[in-house]
Amino acid sequence: MGASARSLGRVRQGPPFPGLTNVRKKLNKAYNSFEVAQAQFDHIADRLELDTGARELLRNPLREYAFAIPVRMDDGTTRVFRGFRVQHNDARGPSKGGIRFHPQESLDTVRALAMWMTWKCAVVDIPLGGAKGGVVCDPHDLGAREQEQICRGWVRQVVNDVGPLRDVPAPDVMTTPQHMLWMLDEFEALNRTRLPGFITGKPVGMGGSLGRKEATGYGVVFTIREALRTMELGAAETTASVQGFGNVAQHAIRLYTELGGRVQCVSCWDQKDRQSYAYRKETGIDLDELLGITDAFGGIDHDRARDLGYEILPGEDWLVQEVDVLIPCALENQIHAENVGRISSRVRIIAEGANGPTSPAADRVIHERGIFLIPDLLANAGGVTCSYFEQVQSNMNYYWERDEVLSKLDVKMTAAFNAVSTLAAGRELYMRDAAYIIAVERVAQACRDRGWI
Amino acid sequence: MTGERDRDETLDAPQRRARELSCLYRVVEVLGRADLPPHRAYQEVVEALPAGWRYPGICRAELTVGEEVYTPEDFSPTPWAQHAEIRVQGRAVGRLSVYYGEEVAAADEGPFLKEERQLLEMLAERIGFYILQRDPRRQGPAAARPASPRWRVVLPFMERMDPRLLQWITRKMLNHLRWKGVAEARELLPTYPAGEEPGPGEENRPLGRAAHRETTAPTDEVFRLAGTHCTEEEILSLVQMWISQDRVRFLIGTLEDQASSFADITDALERFTTLGVREEELPRSVQTMLRVALLRRFFTDDIDFINIAKELVSLTDFQGLARRLLHAANSHGKLGGKAAGLFLAHRVVEASAESAGALADVRVPRTWYIASDSVLAFLRFNHLEEVYDRKYLDLDQVRQQYPNIVEAFRASSFPPELVKGMSAALEDLGEGPIIVRSSSLLEDQSGAAFSGKYKSLFLANRGTRQERLRALQDAVAEVYASIFSPDPIEYRAERNLLDVHEEMGIMIQEVVGTAVGPYFLPSFSGVAVNNNELRWSSRIRREDGLLRMVPGLGTRAVDRLVDDYPVLLSPGQPGLRVNTTAEETLRYAPRMLDVIDLEGNAFGTVPVADLLRGFGDRLPLMRKIVSVLEDGRLRPPRAGGLAAEEGQPLVTFEGLATETPFLARMATLLAVLRARFGVAVEVEFAHDGRHLYLLQCRPQSYPEAGAPALIPRNVPPDRVLLRARRHVSNGRVPHITHLVYVDPDAYALLPDVARMRAVGQAVSRLNTLLPRRRFILMGPGRWGSRGDIRLGVSVTYSDVNNAAVLVEIARQREGYAPDLSFGTHFFQDLVEAEIRYLPLYPDEEDGYLAEDFLRGARNLLPVLLPDMAELADVVRVVDVGAERPGQVLSVLMDGEEEEALGYFTPAAPPLEADLTGPHLALERVTRTPRQHDHAHWRYRVAEQLAARVDAARQGVRGLWLVGSAYSGTATAASAIDLVVRFQGTPEARRELEVWLDGWSRALAAANYLRTGVRMSGLLDVRWVREEDVPSGSGPAAGTGAPADPARRLRLGNGGTGP
Repeated sequence: MGASARSLGRVRQGPPFPGLTNVRKKLNKAYNSFEVAQAQFDHIADRLELDTGARELLRNPLREYAFAIPVRMDDGTTRVFRGFRVQHNDARGPSKGGIRFHPQESLDTVRALAMWMTWKCAVVDIPLGGAKGGVVCDPHDLGAREQEQICRGWVRQVVNDVGPLRDVPAPDVMTTPQHMLWMLDEFEALNRTRLPGFITGKPVGMGGSLGRKEATGYGVVFTIREALRTMELGAAETTASVQGFGNVAQHAIRLYTELGGRVQCVSCWDQKDRQSYAYRKETGIDLDELLGITDAFGGIDHDRARDLGYEILPGEDWLVQEVDVLIPCALENQIHAENVGRISSRVRIIAEGANGPTSPAADRVIHERGIFLIPDLLANAGGVTCSYFEQVQSNMNYYWERDEVLSKLDVKMTAAFNAVSTLAAGRELYMRDAAYIIAVERVAQACRDRGWI
Repeated sequence: MTGERDRDETLDAPQRRARELSCLYRVVEVLGRADLPPHRAYQEVVEALPAGWRYPGICRAELTVGEEVYTPEDFSPTPWAQHAEIRVQGRAVGRLSVYYGEEVAAADEGPFLKEERQLLEMLAERIGFYILQRDPRRQGPAAARPASPRWRVVLPFMERMDPRLLQWITRKMLNHLRWKGVAEARELLPTYPAGEEPGPGEENRPLGRAAHRETTAPTDEVFRLAGTHCTEEEILSLVQMWISQDRVRFLIGTLEDQASSFADITDALERFTTLGVREEELPRSVQTMLRVALLRRFFTDDIDFINIAKELVSLTDFQGLARRLLHAANSHGKLGGKAAGLFLAHRVVEASAESAGALADVRVPRTWYIASDSVLAFLRFNHLEEVYDRKYLDLDQVRQQYPNIVEAFRASSFPPELVKGMSAALEDLGEGPIIVRSSSLLEDQSGAAFSGKYKSLFLANRGTRQERLRALQDAVAEVYASIFSPDPIEYRAERNLLDVHEEMGIMIQEVVGTAVGPYFLPSFSGVAVNNNELRWSSRIRREDGLLRMVPGLGTRAVDRLVDDYPVLLSPGQPGLRVNTTAEETLRYAPRMLDVIDLEGNAFGTVPVADLLRGFGDRLPLMRKIVSVLEDGRLRPPRAGGLAAEEGQPLVTFEGLATETPFLARMATLLAVLRARFGVAVEVEFAHDGRHLYLLQCRPQSYPEAGAPALIPRNVPPDRVLLRARRHVSNGRVPHITHLVYVDPDAYALLPDVARMRAVGQAVSRLNTLLPRRRFILMGPGRWGSRGDIRLGVSVTYSDVNNAAVLVEIARQREGYAPDLSFGTHFFQDLVEAEIRYLPLYPDEEDGYLAEDFLRGARNLLPVLLPDMAELADVVRVVDVGAERPGQVLSVLMDGEEEEALGYFTPAAPPLEADLTGPHLALERVTRTPRQHDHAHWRYRVAEQLAARVDAARQGVRGLWLVGSAYSGTATAASAIDLVVRFQGTPEARRELEVWLDGWSRALAAANYLRTGVRMSGLLDVRWVREEDVPSGSGPAAGTGAPADPARRLRLGNGGTGP
């Protein structure tokens, strides 16, 4: 690992996605997420030696829509909201991406996120492109009826340019399944037909898919299982420590334990004490036992946990456990320059269940220490894969059982992992770089195949 | 029957006259009605007659006219009778008789009074006249002659029966005529000596006595004039009104007599009831006088209260109150502030135009009252007078003795009349749970809400009669004892209210709610206020109001909660929610609810989830209160019931807000109350699934840090740090020692996300380093934004939870200023922790931020966080005292004026002179010395501690006092911050640690006795090693502490200096 790292000196200088401070230093001006995303892309494009045409096409969105949504407010006045939809690339299939409601939404943010969706879909090899949308608004300032009008207004403005086989929205920051249903209803009303595949994130029974709750957590563990396999290890011989006790973490713990692995530590936010604690049990935590003492809001009762034989440690101690696998499933930026040194020498794998849990500086250290990293782009792709499954089921109006969804997820995640790890091994790449390279390459290839470039 | 007799016996002579008069009056009226055929008129006369006799209940009349005999249905002749012949032109045509149904005490004529004989004769005469007029043979001359006015009949009778009344009415009539401008009436007036006519003159000498004798105005003359200038109807109604007024003289007398006790007043009110006088029949002035007098005796002398209430109350209301009022003998008490507020609010609602519309559902729970001075009777009865002086003891003594007082009170007994009353109250209130609430006199005087300072106790009210009565007595005794508890005494001391006479009324009130499984609870409760000081959206205006609602009993809505959240709604903006996504809703949903545990016979707190799972389907209005979280979506519960729900039930009140007119009704209620009260109000309410109950109403109060602050006008510009004029709420945050400023321009220029995140980490670490609630955080855009990190520093609530104020700076960029978050990312956390939020628009005309000061001041960041020194251009930490010696920052926010000011002000007393105004004047007198006490005491004990240090043996090279105890700003909950410079072996260090820990615990205990604040330890010790500190440098060097001012303490064994 050390030798391969040296041979990739140029890469190591710039920390891998999404940090890349070296590129940004050149910018020498205010942070702009789209420019950062483009710089990230340029970095990969260099490595792939893409030609100018391909670069030009991929570093910008294919199509952008910006429009006004007038809404009659509850007090009788009219307010006009700005709406966006950016379709970055749909060479591989209908584009897919969330709709955000945010008071300081900007076109550049949406562009950057649309590009990210393109790579995300490509890395798990689902036949979808990338898109993103948004409305400049704050739901805290809006009544339900007003929010409904915004949703319907958004659809009216782009109705001819979206659809189950063109561009498929989904919930995102501050948008909810309810918003999706309003949008779906408007879209179906305008088209005078039923098209549940227009949107994802729907409730089960209203065109939603079973297995979605499990998808991300299970997906993380599928990739861990495959990573262990490349090390010729079985899950049953390994131990893990998990940060977070939310939906992703719980399902990751569930599946990892079912595979025979032992989760020794889990950290959880304590709302009452306003800090997180790590709960450790050398013999392995019992998920159901912990869920039994978890309140409706996801907090573990630490007194009762102590009675059950758990050690209560400071929240950050999940990171310093003597385990084989670390699974951060909480927030961004949890492994950083200051604590990365405390990671035990025993750790073989870090699987990023959360988005961006590793800071660029920490990423360099992890790379240098030769810890096998399963990057977020790949590790938590179970969610987007399940959205794809939802869309597929909606389009044929036939819904699978949970096990069918999860076994299809297993097939997809396993294949995606193997493609990335094969590339990484073959070309001696850091896994994070390999994931991006494979994603960009696939999209570029689709564009070539279509004769665009 | 005997009841009637008894009651009648109580009437005195004038009362009886009035009675007789009204009987006569009634008969004259009946006989004067042309539309009534004679047989009907005779029957009515028979019915009306007994009212004029001494024992109306057993009195029956009989009228014979020719062959016809008229009697009431239940008539039978008895031996006790009185008769008068009816004659027409000298010929007997019939007989009028009165019988008593049983024997009564003998009077002038058998059982009858001589006045009654006169009355009977007179009535017989009137009937004779009536027959004459009706006689067809008399048609012609008699019919052509106009019948003499009916009022004329009354005058001779009055002359005979009650000349005093006639005189009085004559005078009244004369005044009336004069007022009407009848010239002749002036001549009839008693004359004053020349030039002495009283008028609006300014002379200060007394009027001459002269002709001002008891005049006997000539009745005939006056009424002749009246007959000419007034209609018959007018005269009739005037005379009737004056007679009524005369009849309530006793009531006026009782009420005006300061010596009359509650018992006297209650009796007078009862007597008034028996008179059958309708309140509206009294002159307006008399009505008002009676209402005001009653308001004053029952409630308060507060003129604002009386002014509002006098238009809304009736004597009947007071009769209702009197019937449910318990008091000791010879009581002069009142019902207390809480009872007054609730009573008035209820009247306001009933009198409003909406009382049949939006507010038709509004009720007040059934309530009994104990007069405020019963507590004095209780103390006397048990010889507990020695407690009176307790309030003047030192607070630690008060605290020490309080448990004994509670015990003594509970072991005492009540005067028998109160025990009897409580028993009656329990009988009336039934076996449902009740609450014993304090309703003290200070509550309406102090302005500042006394809420929660005195006890209110819930009783399950189960068991045998005797057990229930015992429990009620214990509860009342315990509420009484709370007058002497340390909290209210400290509160009163701080506001100079210790010397005010305090009495405590009690309300015994049914608890609103229903039995749900083993619990009893209202479906929901809450607090509603006119002025919304917690606006989470710029669309919410102050006057849109605010509801803090919880499931179950309202205790959790009233108090600030440490680990739970009420649901907040704004009635004026019914569509806007604090929490919009499922995650937010889940995080801030109420977790616990308060109930009465019927099995445990006690007040209790249970998890919302358990109650809903077990008994949710039985909770009235459950479907309007609960939403179910499933699949990331909130939806109403399904028809199958909560037990069958797969998703997670949460209390959101969403159905109530969107499917019912509840919010509109609350908006109406608040508007109606505000309009009448003339000030913003605060209403506690509960809903049992059928009706909305008012539980309390008073002028809106603010938590201490949340009152509108008076903004000084003449602050020199160089002392101003910031000014804001938009979306300002209330707040007063003095004594800010440190500023953390994230420069918006520098932040916007940060080239990468990692550094932006690092800013968040720096803030988080500063949050733990800087003194709690003594620093403000100022930064660009949205604190805690989850969206684009450029738009605000990425922090969670725990990263900022020690700040006193959170300022969001909306710098204009490319022509537009960004929207601010209004703290919505952790809005409810800020609310419960009382951290102030202030949006600042420095580029607008009225906005200002002293950026030059912030950029020019010495930045402590590199000192505090050396490893983050690279962020020094972005994150600035300013020690106010270092830049402006002896000063702190004071942030004053006034939501009413939408204005906020942050300015530098001297740190400790003396307070500066430019802060005038009543509010601050009071603060100066009362608050500051108290606060100073906390610091002073800490200073003193630190010195004592230092003197006990064996410097040489313990390895102490220096000891400094820093922080709030030194700066004079310590509060009751402040630690004593010490810096120890230590040089010695690890063993010596451990030994010293143990020694200091012992001190810390002991001082915490002492502090608890002084203040009631529980802390595990009082010392906060920072250690410095000798070699870390260059000699001669300050104490803070090497401690990582901000450059605190410090005081070196004199050590024992002469170990003071280096």
